[in-house]
Amino acid sequence: MSEACKITVERRDDVAIFWTDGYINNQGGEEIARQAYTQLEAGARALILNLEKTRIVNSIGISILIEVLEKVMDRKGTLAFCALTPTIDKTFRIMGLAQYAAIYPTLEEALKAAAPPGETAQRP
Amino acid sequence: MTSAPAAARLGEFWKALADPLRARREEPLPRRLVETAAAWSGARRATLYMREKDAWVQAACSDEQEGPALPDPIPTAATSAGAVFWVPLESEGEVHGHLGLEGVSPEDTEELALSVGFLLGALIAAHRLSRLVKEAEFEVKTRLLELESLYDLGLSLGGQLDLAALGDEVLYRSISLTDAGKGTLVLFDDGGKLLFERSLGGDLLPADRFASWRLPDGEAVINNAAATVPTAGERLSSCQKCLAVAISVLGRRLGVLAVADKESRDGSVLDFTATDARLLSLFANQAAAAIETARLHKEAIEKERIERELELAAAIQREILPRSLPEIAGVELAAANLPTRQVGGDYYDFFPLSNGRLGFLVADVSGKGVPAALLVSTVHAAVHLSIDEAKTIVELVERIDRHLRRYAATRKFLTLFFGIIEPESGALRYVSAGHNPALLVSASGTLERLDSTGVPVGMLPHASWREETRTMQPGDLLAVYTDGLTEAVDGSDEEFGLERLERGIAEGRALPAKRLCDEVLLKVADFARGMPQYDDQTLLLLRRT
Repeated sequence: MSEACKITVERRDDVAIFWTDGYINNQGGEEIARQAYTQLEAGARALILNLEKTRIVNSIGISILIEVLEKVMDRKGTLAFCALTPTIDKTFRIMGLAQYAAIYPTLEEALKAAAPPGETAQRP
Repeated sequence: MTSAPAAARLGEFWKALADPLRARREEPLPRRLVETAAAWSGARRATLYMREKDAWVQAACSDEQEGPALPDPIPTAATSAGAVFWVPLESEGEVHGHLGLEGVSPEDTEELALSVGFLLGALIAAHRLSRLVKEAEFEVKTRLLELESLYDLGLSLGGQLDLAALGDEVLYRSISLTDAGKGTLVLFDDGGKLLFERSLGGDLLPADRFASWRLPDGEAVINNAAATVPTAGERLSSCQKCLAVAISVLGRRLGVLAVADKESRDGSVLDFTATDARLLSLFANQAAAAIETARLHKEAIEKERIERELELAAAIQREILPRSLPEIAGVELAAANLPTRQVGGDYYDFFPLSNGRLGFLVADVSGKGVPAALLVSTVHAAVHLSIDEAKTIVELVERIDRHLRRYAATRKFLTLFFGIIEPESGALRYVSAGHNPALLVSASGTLERLDSTGVPVGMLPHASWREETRTMQPGDLLAVYTDGLTEAVDGSDEEFGLERLERGIAEGRALPAKRLCDEVLLKVADFARGMPQYDDQTLLLLRRT
């Protein structure tokens, strides 16, 4: 895991996938929010956060993720998380993120759920 | 009581608010309120002030500019101040905001005060309440998360014997739950040697500096004023505020856990609180027990590995040493090897040769344990392969040297004494390659040290050895030994030494070889008084009869 959180974004149709690498704290959360709002403005309907390379999240990071979730819901979009460590998974469930955002074990499952009915998301 | 026109205006205002409240939720509430208030009242500009902690701050202005300042003193009722009509936004007797409207008609002011003040006051109160509830809910969930984390950490650490995984778990949870921006965990062994070091967000200190920190056991120390740990007197240049705790078991320091720079939503660095300190202390106490268990487990595994290695080395050595002494006319033999717990690399052997001659060897290889045992095995093979082909002892030693260089690991060498006795004539020929002086004792008690005739085998390229000869008279005794005997130590670290060995052998020269061998070893054991010895003890005695 790197020091500062790095975010990589990939767009597949109206699904935006975010790969996080590092600590989701104030700085990491702000960067996720900035890129998430950019994707929403650009028409993304579903956001998937792949936290495979993140092992640590603090309450500031969580509050920012909640703000992102509220924005996504206001726009009738969806937010999902995948590949969480057991600790982060439990943290998200306790802090209420899992009430409105789905959590999937793998990116494939998150993509499958994000695909419109009758379609299957494919890698470009 | 509200008059009919006023009630109608209230209804109109409520309708005007409906769309921005329902449909434009992604925009901040103050912005939606000032825009609606300006549009509905016909004001040129509307400015909203809301309370932030203990101060009134501008929350929004309809033209997104800096609006007019609140009058001083702040009006408690609707009033005009210059070109601005100020309306206090009240609900349940509490003022939640102030709305400044510019360019409204003086006839409208009373109705404006009623409708805008009442509705916006209620909305802002509800908004604040909703925010407070959310914050309280978040706070409660955070506390629940802390409790769950403590519980989970206990469970997780209980079953975790991998020190690195355990350290990561403790560090990450500590940083996460205190909202710290960075943190470091260092663990030491009993001797102060660094066992584990992990940092997130950059090192707070070089690990060795943590070792000298004088922190109270298991009680976190906060420093919010400057990044100096008070009891440690250590200034941390890499952070602004720090919280540190010693990880200790029964007063024994295992390490230090430190987190620094508590984050806030606005990016500023917050003070660590008593709750943070309590949480870190609890983590440290839980971690201490688990880390101690993991450390003991690691030590036990290492001990078991060494025991297995020693057993293997001892087995190799047992297989190589002769199981019985050869019976050669004209000589009386005795030999003994006492392997230590560490299993060194002593080796002795006999080689019956043609014409009643007897070759004999005592060697001591460098190193201990399995590597030494394997080297002994290599030497054993080399000697047995070469003994029939070598024409002289020097040639034999050279062959062993070549063999060692070719097949043994680098920087391995051995000292050896190889002799050939011809019982009939008493002729003794020998090469001593860096070996301890063998002792030749005449029947009358005269003692001669047979010094080394060359360097240890395998030590230097192009080394050479010299063969020496002596004649042993009937009754003369030759003692060849390894330094495990002369370097055996007692409780005060004094060595048994060559003189004591010489005296023991000279005094017992008339005893049967086997008995003398036993007595010498007993003398060494008596001298050491049970102190553990770190080198094998080997003694070979040869008497011409």
